[in-house]
Amino acid sequence: MKKLHRSSRPTAFLALIGLLTLAPHTSAQQATTVRLGFFPNLTHAPALVGLERGLFQKALGNVKLDPRHFASGTTLTEAFAAGQIDIAYVGPGPAITAATRGMPVQFLAGASEAGAVLVARKDTPIRSYKDLSGKIVAVPSLGNTQDISLRHLLSEQGLKSRADGGTVTVVPVPPADTVSALAGRRADAALVPEPWGAALEAKGHRVIGTEKTVWRGGKYPTTLVIVNARFAQANPALVASFLKAHASAVAFLVKSPAAAQTAVNAQMDKLTGEKLDVRVLQRAFARTRFTTILDPEAMREYAILNVNAGYARSVPDLAPFFRK
Amino acid sequence: MTTRLNPDLTRPETRGLSRWQVLSWQVSGLALILAIWWLVTDILKLYPPYVFPGPKAVWTEISYGLWGTGPQDGKLLAAIAGSLRRVLTGYLVAVVLGGLTGLLMGAWLPLRATLGAYLTGLQSIPSIAFVPFAILFFGLNERAVLFVVILEGFIPVALAVSGALLNVPPALRIAGRTLGARGLALTWRVLLPASVPNLLTGLRTAWSFAWRALVGGELLIAGAKSLGEQLEVGRNTANVALVLSTIIIIGLIGGLFDSLLRAVETRVRRDYGLEVTQ
Repeated sequence: MKKLHRSSRPTAFLALIGLLTLAPHTSAQQATTVRLGFFPNLTHAPALVGLERGLFQKALGNVKLDPRHFASGTTLTEAFAAGQIDIAYVGPGPAITAATRGMPVQFLAGASEAGAVLVARKDTPIRSYKDLSGKIVAVPSLGNTQDISLRHLLSEQGLKSRADGGTVTVVPVPPADTVSALAGRRADAALVPEPWGAALEAKGHRVIGTEKTVWRGGKYPTTLVIVNARFAQANPALVASFLKAHASAVAFLVKSPAAAQTAVNAQMDKLTGEKLDVRVLQRAFARTRFTTILDPEAMREYAILNVNAGYARSVPDLAPFFRK
Repeated sequence: MTTRLNPDLTRPETRGLSRWQVLSWQVSGLALILAIWWLVTDILKLYPPYVFPGPKAVWTEISYGLWGTGPQDGKLLAAIAGSLRRVLTGYLVAVVLGGLTGLLMGAWLPLRATLGAYLTGLQSIPSIAFVPFAILFFGLNERAVLFVVILEGFIPVALAVSGALLNVPPALRIAGRTLGARGLALTWRVLLPASVPNLLTGLRTAWSFAWRALVGGELLIAGAKSLGEQLEVGRNTANVALVLSTIIIIGLIGGLFDSLLRAVETRVRRDYGLEVTQ
């Protein structure tokens, strides 16, 4: 490398400082668009229904809706931290992580409960959680909601992940790829959100843990709605309208499951290019409950599991993060 | 930036400076970087801590990870042990395989003309590109990571060995022949000893290739104790301090091994009369 000329050194130094000070900024003025983050999963059905039936756009009036779908809570949390997402559907794992790290996050409402199952590959001898010892289990991503659930049910069986000096290998595999991961014997089992559990079942794999045995008898949040606190402060009316639309999407899911399934399938097809079998979708629906209620107690227990899994050092007080 | 333990006095960039001068510049440079970092994060608060944490937060993560005593502590130490075990295994296999291949290539022209060209081409492919193939071939496990590490380390060793054998000054070759060394004996007793300095350069290159390949592989094939997994966990739990501390440790280990190898190399080059000492 050529040596910098003496007089240009301070300039280069100042340029470096300048670069370092290009801090990201989130606008706190009236929003003209709402950037909505979500996943193309059945557990995010309120988001899918709201998009497919135009409920969100109608509620927002002339403020533009900008929907962005993500593969996992990890990438969504990164976008949220960078201030690129205003409202999002996420699992409790990423929501609590955001709160723990001091991100400007508010929990708005519940979206879905249960809807996660543990499936074992058909040619393995795995019949119960105990048999997972020495096996490879796939979760959507490390530190996500299903991963935290898995580590909890392993510890209940006296098992540990290999990273913690135990015998179970936990690998991150995007839910949509678990079908090929099991077929290719790259994993022996998977703890996945619906509809991927039902999709694996349709391929002949065995459900060894239903949505009820996974945790708290099935009374646990799987998806909730969060908002960037600064965005909420600047646009209270917008957030209220969005929540109304979210509530009507949930109501539609509860009242007309058949029509809702069609809407979900149409939206999934648009986002992932995959149309699901109707029976798969029905089975997945039967294991998932849609609700706008978010149980603070369940969230607190999740935060404790998060610490037990080694993903956080302390249980944060979540009370300030709930929308008043 | 790496801090060198034995500043190499013969390197052009530090020539003419005493050992202490070099060291004091390096220490003050590091102090300046830390000061700017601390100023930008903890004092001016230009970034939220979940985007760019300050030196204090990173130090906390390092201390928990290296000498913490809680149930969830000491993970960085375990990760360093796991990664080192893996990279040393892969590196040794790569050196043995690469050394043998290089010898054959140096001794036999057709092999050099064909395999040599392929290896040079392979070397231009980033190691991370082999990971998907390795996963499909071996599964999401240790073997897939080792495969990538060995492949990345093997190529520079093979090329360095064959290149070093070819670059032996013709005078030595002719002298050896005149004194009655032929074929393998010539290679073993004249060419190899004569090419030791170049071989060492190849070994050092192979180390840095293997180390990079390892971290890349571990990052995509999480599931065992490794530095790559620590990066992935840090990313997944929005723990940027953990990500930064892991990056620092990766850099320190890579730099440390590199300096050790470089020290050996310099000494050998000096003994071979290839370096001008002061």
